[in-house]
Amino acid sequence: MSRLAGIRVLIVEDEPVVAMCLEDMLMALGCSVIGPAGRLAEGLALARDAQADAAVLDINLAGERSDTIAAALRARGIPFVFASGYGNAPAGFEEGVPLLGKPYREADLAAALERVLA
Amino acid sequence: MASSEYSEEPAADPLPGDEPRPSGEDEFRLIADSAPVPIWVTRLDRTRSFVNRAYLDFLGVDYPAALVFDWRTIIHPDDRDRIVAESIAGEAGLQTFTLEGRYRRGDGSWRWLRSVSQPRRDARGRHIGFIGVAHDVTEAKEAELALREREAQLSAFVNQATAGFAQTDLSGRFTLVNDRFCAISGWTRAELLNRTMQSITHPDDLGRNQKLFDRAIRERVPFVLEKRYVRSDGEIVWVNNSVAVLRRETGEPYGVLAVTIDVTDRRANEMALRKSEESIRLAVECAGMATWELDLASMSGVWSANRFDLLGLERHPAGEGSVDDWLARVHPDDREAVRAAAFGCFDDSSPFTIEYRIHRADTGEERWLQSHGSCIEQGEERARRFVGVSFDVTTRKRAEQELRASEARFRTIFEQANDYLITCDLDHRITSVNPALLAALGYAEDQLVGRSIGDFMDADQFAQSREMLRRKLIEGGTTRHTIRVRSSDGRELVWEVNSQLTSDEEDGTVTGLHAIARDVTEAKRFEAHQRLLIDELNHRVKNTLAIVQGIAQQTFRNEEDMAAARAAFEGRLAALSEAHNLLTREHWSPVSMARIISDAVAPHGGGEGRFLLDGPDLALAPKTAISLALAVHELATNAVKHGALSVAEGAVTIRWSRDADRLLLEWTERGGPPVRHPERRGFGTRMIERGLAAELSGSVTIHFDPEGLRCTVEAPIPSAAA
Repeated sequence: MSRLAGIRVLIVEDEPVVAMCLEDMLMALGCSVIGPAGRLAEGLALARDAQADAAVLDINLAGERSDTIAAALRARGIPFVFASGYGNAPAGFEEGVPLLGKPYREADLAAALERVLA
Repeated sequence: MASSEYSEEPAADPLPGDEPRPSGEDEFRLIADSAPVPIWVTRLDRTRSFVNRAYLDFLGVDYPAALVFDWRTIIHPDDRDRIVAESIAGEAGLQTFTLEGRYRRGDGSWRWLRSVSQPRRDARGRHIGFIGVAHDVTEAKEAELALREREAQLSAFVNQATAGFAQTDLSGRFTLVNDRFCAISGWTRAELLNRTMQSITHPDDLGRNQKLFDRAIRERVPFVLEKRYVRSDGEIVWVNNSVAVLRRETGEPYGVLAVTIDVTDRRANEMALRKSEESIRLAVECAGMATWELDLASMSGVWSANRFDLLGLERHPAGEGSVDDWLARVHPDDREAVRAAAFGCFDDSSPFTIEYRIHRADTGEERWLQSHGSCIEQGEERARRFVGVSFDVTTRKRAEQELRASEARFRTIFEQANDYLITCDLDHRITSVNPALLAALGYAEDQLVGRSIGDFMDADQFAQSREMLRRKLIEGGTTRHTIRVRSSDGRELVWEVNSQLTSDEEDGTVTGLHAIARDVTEAKRFEAHQRLLIDELNHRVKNTLAIVQGIAQQTFRNEEDMAAARAAFEGRLAALSEAHNLLTREHWSPVSMARIISDAVAPHGGGEGRFLLDGPDLALAPKTAISLALAVHELATNAVKHGALSVAEGAVTIRWSRDADRLLLEWTERGGPPVRHPERRGFGTRMIERGLAAELSGSVTIHFDPEGLRCTVEAPIPSAAA
């Protein structure tokens, strides 16, 4: 069993198929999944209320930057990992937050989460 | 003149004037009175006992006055002291003594007298006085003085500085030389007096000199000769000698006199002048300048040899050439102008400078000549000469034409270039701009020229420009940089500027800089857009790969039938690909919902009327369209495998509508085999119920109705802008 077993992970990802994929990966790692949220408002609500231990946050949600969600997560002390289809971090990208490139690899996902949870 | 024969004199002491004359001496008296010179007899006390008639005549007084006359009062002031002193000395010496000096006659005139006084003695030999006689030596004295003066003049003349004088005997031996001659010849007087003129004459000049010398003595003709002396230090001196033969009164020659002038400098000047003239002539010829002179009477004159060459004519042996010879060679189009200029000069002496074409007589080649002509007035007689100089300026003319053409080309480039051309001085003041630049900035030329380029850009950009100039001044070369400038309406334009320094052609000093600029505002914008597009493409590819990854993961997760799984995967990829095709065709702008659905079901078509699509034409965002396409694909696949389309009679109706801001969609299968609830929910169901629902932020439900599968969608009207 991975060290991530039992961790509750919030998924904010607007691409349904990708979200499903991420969901499956996290479940395989023994995590329980909150979401996935595909829209900014939905993600923000979960970030403020959900009992999450960590989050995987897509930077771009149907054309909107997810910075407010990141702020909400940080406010609650919930560590998170950015996910992005862009090759490199966009302007204003927060230092110190791991960037998970798409398509995901389960090992990278696990490593990133372990890092932020450490 | 002493008169010692009159030695007897009475010893009495008569009073002056009334003393009876010595009667025994009547004869002496008679003789003395008839003598033409003054004679006097004195006693020991210096009083006179006798004076003769000439004495009285000289003083202009009577006898008694003459006996007591103080002769010292008539001595010339310049002589007085000397004569009185000599007189006292002479008397004291008791010897015959002579005095000479000027005395004033009774008539006031000054006369030179030479007096001789001799002691008188009595019979016993006692000294009793003096007897004196005075000769008038005025004429002789004046002649002597005149001679002395002349000698002094001659001496001064002979020794004066400019001319040397040398006298030789008939063999040429020096007998007399002045200081100047010594200085000129470079020999001392002592050396010269032991030498002959032949010994110091330059060997090359001696033969001619000797011939003239001999002939002068023989035929008594003077001569003038320019020749060289060899100085004692070996140096050469050029002299001009004017030589005359000296003759005695008898006519016999006894010597030769030469007046010598040093002409070394003049010879050097002449030589220099000749050289200079030669140099000028050579220079004129080398410069290809042909000269001509014209005599108005004959309308012909003398041409320099190269003037014939210039015109391609045969050289005339005497150099004769006429105005017509010249005009004949002039290009017909230029001939009248040339003729007018030349004859204008001939008529009223106005000088001319003309440039014209000729055709060479020999080759027929066209050449350009430049000619200057002017008139030289020869004094009062109006004998005017015309002189001129011509030279070939073809090369220069062609260069000028070339330059004009080049300037025209440059001007055209400058005026018509799309690029912006600008020149500035070293203080960044604009000195010229081309029309393209004016148009780009929206200013008139006078609004730009003379102003600083800093007026047309922000401070940081001006600082950058200054830095570029500074770098060029140090390193030279060309700089290339991108700079932002401001147009008259405040727009910011991005220019790429290539600039380099301009320098003075003559001395190479830097005068300013010129720059070629190109507007890269659009290019920069395009570049940024490109970058965005590439980033976006990258994003999409990554996203698509993530989707493919998701599909693959879902498809192969639990599937045991690999062939079926592969077929399913291929079908899903095909659906994804089809959706992408549509989006690409539509440039990733919103696409028609009907179109997405019909494309998604098309591969499963199976014949006419199997799918019925019915709904308003709504636009879907690309992302939503993909999710819808994948969901419809899953529904269609299921219909073909298990549902209505698995039998020939079955059909599917896809009907959608909008109700205010809600989208309602219903997938209804009819005519298929009885529907059974599936044992497990696979990717398809998940994609439809969760994926599409999430995508649409709505609800999607699959109803396994026995008469046919039904799927309902209720969601907000999708935002096409997403």
